[in-house]
Amino acid sequence: MAVSCCLGSSNIALSSIFDFLFGRGETLPETTVTIITKLRIPRVLTAALIGGALASIGAVMQGIFKNPMADPSVLGISSGAALGAAIAIVVGLNGVIIGAFTGAYIGAVIGAVLTWFIIITIAKSSGEYDTSSTLLAGIATSSLMSALITVIMTLNLQKMERIYMWMLGTFSASTVSKTIILAIVVMLGLIALIIFAPMIDVLKLGKETAETLGVKQGRTLAILMTISSIILAFCVANAGVIGFVGLIIPHIVSFFKVYKMRSKIIMCFLVGAIFTVICDTICKIVIAPGELPIGAVTSLIGAPYFLFLLLKARRQNGGAL
Amino acid sequence: MNLEISNLSLKINNKTILDGITTTFEEGKITVVLGPNGCGKTTLIKEIIKKYADTKELAYVAQETTGYLNLMVRDVIELSRYSNNKFYRGLSAEDKEAIEQAIEMMDIEDKQNQLFDTLSGGEKQRVMMARALAQETDWLILDEPTSNLDASHVRKINDAVRQAKSAIVVMHDINEAARLGDKYILMNNGRIIEESNTLTEDLLDKTFEMDFSKMVTSDGQTIFYLAKQQESKRAQ
Repeated sequence: MAVSCCLGSSNIALSSIFDFLFGRGETLPETTVTIITKLRIPRVLTAALIGGALASIGAVMQGIFKNPMADPSVLGISSGAALGAAIAIVVGLNGVIIGAFTGAYIGAVIGAVLTWFIIITIAKSSGEYDTSSTLLAGIATSSLMSALITVIMTLNLQKMERIYMWMLGTFSASTVSKTIILAIVVMLGLIALIIFAPMIDVLKLGKETAETLGVKQGRTLAILMTISSIILAFCVANAGVIGFVGLIIPHIVSFFKVYKMRSKIIMCFLVGAIFTVICDTICKIVIAPGELPIGAVTSLIGAPYFLFLLLKARRQNGGAL
Repeated sequence: MNLEISNLSLKINNKTILDGITTTFEEGKITVVLGPNGCGKTTLIKEIIKKYADTKELAYVAQETTGYLNLMVRDVIELSRYSNNKFYRGLSAEDKEAIEQAIEMMDIEDKQNQLFDTLSGGEKQRVMMARALAQETDWLILDEPTSNLDASHVRKINDAVRQAKSAIVVMHDINEAARLGDKYILMNNGRIIEESNTLTEDLLDKTFEMDFSKMVTSDGQTIFYLAKQQESKRAQ
C-alpha cells in the first residue's frame, strides 16, 4: 500500500511516505503532503475497500446461488447500479446532498436493488435459486443494463465522459470525503455479512433442510441481497464497474482451503483488497502519466491466474475448485 | 409429537399434485411412503416440513443435493448443529459427540477432509444422512435415502432409521420397504390409496397398477416380485 502511494503521475519517494506515516511529515514539502493526503491515500484506501468488498460479495453470491460462476458483474447487479448512477447524473440529481453524498449514490442503490429484484423474480419462478436460470437471467439483465447505459450516453454526449467512467472503472476520482463515506458503508455492510455468513452455508443444504435448521430461505436471501446491493452500489458509484474481482478472489481463497462462509468472507476481503491495490498500482505506472482502466488490469492479471487455478484443480480433484 | 396433514390439496400450473391428503404420521413408528414416480410423495414430504420445520424436531435428507457447495464434508455435517448456537461460539462437547457418532455410523471417517462436491452420489447421500442424524431430532424424514447405495450401506442407513424414534421414508425398493416399515402409506396420482400396517400383493397391485406375486424364502423373509410373463409384456 505504501508503494502504491509513491507511484503516480508525479513520483514521491518511498521514504517520504514512511516519513509521513510515522509522523515526520513536517519535514516534507507542502505539495508532497497534499498529494499524499488528498490523492494517494484516498485512492489506495478506495481501491482496497472496493476490491475487498467486491471479493466478499462475490463469495456471498457464489454461496447463495450455489454456483461457482456467480459474481455481481455476471449477475448484472453492477451494471444495474451503474445505470442507476448514470440516470441520476443525466437528470441532474448529482447534486451534493450531505457532504460528498450525492444523488449518484442513491441512483446506484436503486439500480442495484431493482436489478436484484428482477433476477430473483425470474430465478424464483423455477422453484429453487440454484439453477442456471439465475445466471442466464443475470447475463441477460447485464446486457440490457449496459445497452441502456450506451443509449443514455449517446443521448447525452456532453456528459458522456463522466458516464463512460462507470463502464471502465477507475479509482482516479477518489477524494477524502468520498473515501470516508465508502469506508463507513463497506465496513458496516461487511460486519453484517460476517454475522449472517453461517446462514449462507446452511442454505446450501437446500430450502427444506435449511428450514428444519431454522433458516428461512426467502427472508435470508432478502437480507443478504439488500446488504450486498447497497455495498455494491456505493462501490460502483465511487469507481465504476470492475469485473472479475468478485469472480476469481473467492476461488483463490478456496484454493487455500478456506471454505466456511464466515472465514471466507474475511479472507476474500483481505485478498481482494491486496489484489486490487496491486492492480491499481499497475494502472498508474504502465502508461504514466496516463492511466489504464482498472477493469482491464484486473482481467489481464486475474483471467490467466484463474485459468491456471482451474487447470491445477482439475488435476487435483477432478474439476471441483 | 405426531405429524398431521389434513385435507391438503396442491396444484402447480393447473396440474394437481396433491389431492385431498389427510393422514397422521405417528410418533415412534417408521412410516414408509410408496407409489409410482411423480405421484406426489416428495411434494407431500416438503409440505410436512413446511408445516413442522419450526418445531426443530425434523431432520430431512433430500433425494439429492445439487449445486456447488464448496464445503468440506466435516463442515457440512457440522451445519447440523447450527440451530443450537448459530455458530456465534464454537461447537460444544455435546455437539462434537453427536457429530462423531453420526460420522462413525455412516462410515465416512476417511471422507471428513474431502470437498463435498468431489464425492460420488452414494457418498453424498451418506454425508447428508450423517448430517441429519447429527441433528438429533425426534423425526427423520428421508426421500429415497438408499437409491445410490451399495448393499452394505443400505443396511447401515436402515439400521440408523430403526434407531430413530420416528421416521418417514420414501422408498422405491418394495422388499426393502417391507423389511423396514411399521406402517405404509400407498399413493397414486396425488391421493392416498390406502394406509396399512403390512404390505400385501393386492395393495401393491392397486398402487402400481401391476401384478405382483409373493414368495417366502427358506429363512422366512417375504419377497414381492413381478411375474416373468408380465415383465416381458411390459418390455414389448
